[in-house]
Amino acid sequence: MITLTLKEQPNVPLEAEVLSPDAMAALANDAIRALPVYLGKKLCRVDDFFAVEGEASDELKICGDARKVKWIGRGMTCGRITIVGNAGMHLGAYMTGGAIEVSGNASDWLGGEMTGGLIRIRGNAGGQVGAAYRGSRIGMKGGTILIEGTAGLEVGMRMKRGTIVVGGMVRDFAGLEMRGGTIVLLSGAEIRTGAWMMRGTIVSLKPIPLLPSFLYASTYNPTFLRLYAKHLGTLGFTIPYEEQDGAYQRYTGDTSIPGKGEILIWKSVKA
Amino acid sequence: MIRITGGKVYDPANGIDGVVQDICIAEGRIVAQVDGGRTIDASGTLVFPGGVDVHTHVAGGALNFARGLVPENQRVARKFMHGAKLRSGIGGMTPTTFATGYLYAGMGWTTVNEAAVPILSAKHTHEELHDIPIVDKSTLLLMANNEFVLDLLEVGEVERAKHVVGWLIWAAKAYGVKAVNPGGVAAWKWGKNASTLHDPIEGYHSITAAQIISGLAGIIDDLGLPHPLHLHCNNLGVPGNVSTTLETMKVLEGHRAHMAHLQFHAYGGQDWGTMRSEAVAIAEAFDAQTNLTCDAGAVLFGDAVTITADGPWQHLLHELTGRKWGNLDVENETGCGIVPYVYSDRHIVNAVQWAVGLELLLLIKDPWRVFLTTDHPNGGCFWRYPEIIQLLMDVDYRKEQIKKLHPEAQKRIVLADLDRQYTLSEVAIVTSAGPARALGLSQKGHLGVGADADVSIYPEKPNNDGVLFSYPRYVLKGGEVMVEEGEVRGTSEGREFIVRPSYDEQIVEYIRPLFDKVYTMSFENYPVEIERLRRPEITTCK
Amino acid sequence: MTGERGASLERRGVRVVDTFAEAFDMCAARVLITANSPAWARTAALCMTGFATSVIGCKVEAGIEAELFPDQTPDGRSGASVLLFGFDAAGLANRLVERVGQTVLTCPTTACFDGLPQAAERVIVGGLLRHFGDRFQSSKFLEGQRYWRIPVMEGEFLIQETFGVQKAIGGGNLLILATDQNAALAAAEAAVDVMRKVRGVILPFPGGIVRAGSKVGAKRYKKMIASTNDAYCPTLRGRAGVTSELPEGVNSVLEIVVDGLDRPAIENALSVGIDAACRPGVVEISAGNYGGKLGKHHFRLHSLLSEAST
Repeated sequence: MITLTLKEQPNVPLEAEVLSPDAMAALANDAIRALPVYLGKKLCRVDDFFAVEGEASDELKICGDARKVKWIGRGMTCGRITIVGNAGMHLGAYMTGGAIEVSGNASDWLGGEMTGGLIRIRGNAGGQVGAAYRGSRIGMKGGTILIEGTAGLEVGMRMKRGTIVVGGMVRDFAGLEMRGGTIVLLSGAEIRTGAWMMRGTIVSLKPIPLLPSFLYASTYNPTFLRLYAKHLGTLGFTIPYEEQDGAYQRYTGDTSIPGKGEILIWKSVKA
Repeated sequence: MIRITGGKVYDPANGIDGVVQDICIAEGRIVAQVDGGRTIDASGTLVFPGGVDVHTHVAGGALNFARGLVPENQRVARKFMHGAKLRSGIGGMTPTTFATGYLYAGMGWTTVNEAAVPILSAKHTHEELHDIPIVDKSTLLLMANNEFVLDLLEVGEVERAKHVVGWLIWAAKAYGVKAVNPGGVAAWKWGKNASTLHDPIEGYHSITAAQIISGLAGIIDDLGLPHPLHLHCNNLGVPGNVSTTLETMKVLEGHRAHMAHLQFHAYGGQDWGTMRSEAVAIAEAFDAQTNLTCDAGAVLFGDAVTITADGPWQHLLHELTGRKWGNLDVENETGCGIVPYVYSDRHIVNAVQWAVGLELLLLIKDPWRVFLTTDHPNGGCFWRYPEIIQLLMDVDYRKEQIKKLHPEAQKRIVLADLDRQYTLSEVAIVTSAGPARALGLSQKGHLGVGADADVSIYPEKPNNDGVLFSYPRYVLKGGEVMVEEGEVRGTSEGREFIVRPSYDEQIVEYIRPLFDKVYTMSFENYPVEIERLRRPEITTCK
Repeated sequence: MTGERGASLERRGVRVVDTFAEAFDMCAARVLITANSPAWARTAALCMTGFATSVIGCKVEAGIEAELFPDQTPDGRSGASVLLFGFDAAGLANRLVERVGQTVLTCPTTACFDGLPQAAERVIVGGLLRHFGDRFQSSKFLEGQRYWRIPVMEGEFLIQETFGVQKAIGGGNLLILATDQNAALAAAEAAVDVMRKVRGVILPFPGGIVRAGSKVGAKRYKKMIASTNDAYCPTLRGRAGVTSELPEGVNSVLEIVVDGLDRPAIENALSVGIDAACRPGVVEISAGNYGGKLGKHHFRLHSLLSEAST
């Protein structure tokens, strides 16, 4: 286990893609300390900002309020990162494997264009979760992002595959231009969910306002959701699916494209 | 002072074809002899005059708009890190300014002609060109959709039009005149195009594309500009446009002209499903009309970004492909369209396009009249020119690539029947000597005494990637070593070639009130002050 | 086939011949069918495994391996697992597409999953049946597997894209030689009851039992692939051209055929089956083989018996 404890809060964001198992797994302690991080455009060392214990491990623990530390776990392929505290923007962007867990909050662009691996945020996340970076046609292509708290704008924008689960409320444009994959909203969303959606599934356990270009199809209990319920159950999230408890209202859209996506909204029998 | 010794010199302008001889340099020029100074051991190398790119898009408003449209390309492009000698930059398909200079010089190209500049944003272009290190530059001014000029040509006031054109060239501090889709971009302001040469342009009473072409060609000949009318014909990219191109050549009879990216104008067929190569017909007509030069505008498989003033064509490309599209209007003058694109060897049309560029380079008999370009970044990136040279020089390799094409595409091209292989001398002509001569830059493109000391020294045997010319051992610009073993060792500011044609200064009395009436800019801000160009060099008009 | 008769052992007064069953390499798939209720899962499974007794005439051998509880299925509903056996993966793939398409897709409330997730070789089933959706279908990719959702009038049919196939063994068998038809049947039914509980095997013939065991080829009809095993037909004792293999006192013979995913499964099934069949009225338990020349899997009855008795 390599433990990095933030000792100095950077005054401008730190570009710290070296904080990843791929970069550190083979390194001795002093080599880890000497790894480059950029304070703005100024080249610094990891140990200018972090106390470093341990070496040569693919398990990293980062302690402290690292909300201004960007690109942690960028492109990682294996190993674990545990952040006790908050994390900055682009956490786990481009990752292809391994796991990241954050006890506090994450910032914007969580898991941007990732293709595999698992990210779990106990607190809240920002906007553009699993999204395409500006200009890219496709966002995340695989992997799983779990957020127990809230998330911001454009969650899953242009995602193509993979699963995003958000326990708390999300803001506007969840699933914007979605091309595939699954977004599960346990607490619903604000407005314009699924705008320009081409394919994919947005599941909301709470009623949400829908664009007029989403058209009601039917109410049913889709079998595939039972598979997701089982999978998410092992990850600590519960979604309902039994007929005795309720059913999902299926809305097809975004018909303005025309898209082949769906928004499934849970309607409990008790409602 | 430098002596380059032991290399095989290729200087076709001076009849030298692979002779081992010394090249001596002093004070930035080739001289007959030097005493002392540095000696570069060039044994085992080919010594070429620095490359001259006669048609490329590297600076200005359209380029910058394109850079902004494709942030996803910038993210994955080659990075140039700031260092003691280098400024930072991004390569890729729309390189940033500093990177453009490093990339060209890194390949052995030392003179670059920015092929499309609107007068309205010429200041911006010059600023960006100034930031491009090492290489010398020139610019071509967009004129064939300029409403002042079209209005005058329409009513037959050719003389006045000539003075307006002369004034505009000097106002923009340009080197030559560019015509893009004559009348078509003016029609685009009405949502239309100019697909025929002899029908009136939308928004005008009677003027036709043919009249714009012959009118401008005549004016340029009259003004004695060193480079003739540089023409991007109507109907670029459209299946069957061979007839438009042949007709355009007829309209140009009696005039000098340079036909830009001729590959995009050499298609037969009636529609996308039947599109085929008509390079044979084009080459034949081109060979016969000896007043014409052209550049290939060859396509390479892979990513590209199409950037052109041909607004209506770009809109069509966007509709065809669904790719994102940017369109800019340049008031009263021209427009521009940007569509990022990928040329795929699986795609029959792209395969035909790839073949046509090579066919033109192989069929056109006189290498002094056809030049190597990709219409960067429209057909492919300029830093991939060595790939085209390989295809021209190695017939077996070329035929291997043809076999990989879709069988249907192979039926629509003649490339497989062409066995010609470019010699090193011919390569030197189409990449340097020929374009320099066509541009009227007499100190470029050769290694005779008095020439600018722009010398590119390539290893005789290809690099690990098997491609000759991709990795010069030395590149000298103005007599200084800029690139050594693939690394930029020094940089300098290049010069900008401009012309000052003769025209009646009184013409400003005609221009200014019109300008005030129709432009949103104030007239004082329109012309580019000479002080804005750091190292201008005026080439005389005849 | 001949029953090579050597020394024999006895179990509860029944002679167990020292011979072996000869079985063959086959290719198998396992399909998990789930539905709203055990009854509907069973209905789909029965329909899917109908007309699947022998690869020779039916192109595939199939049967219900087990009924599954909700906690044993991917979607947490009641289900059934079905095993199918064919000559090769390509043929099996075609049979899967045909059978799932005509009998599971069409059956109310069902979904269909792969039961051999560890199998390295995969065949495309849902990936072909998806076309029934006429481009209105969609898919989900979860934990490395693609599932197709096909819109149907009833709602939505869910099927996994690929199914695993593996090497398997077909044609394990027992012969029950009894004093009369009732005794043979009672013994065979008793055997089938316990054999059905074994995982990894199916008994493809009707009720698990073959009343018309066959021999390879025919003596009189040149082009027949198989014909009645005259050496074991009680009514043909003494007939010219027949060398009867039947011991004295045998008036009816029934065969049980077992296909299994691997050797242990078949051994298990055969040994519990032999034991259950050793009952009053049964003279002898034997097995069919071809002298060991055709199939490479041999199950010696005496080895199975010693296992069962321990």
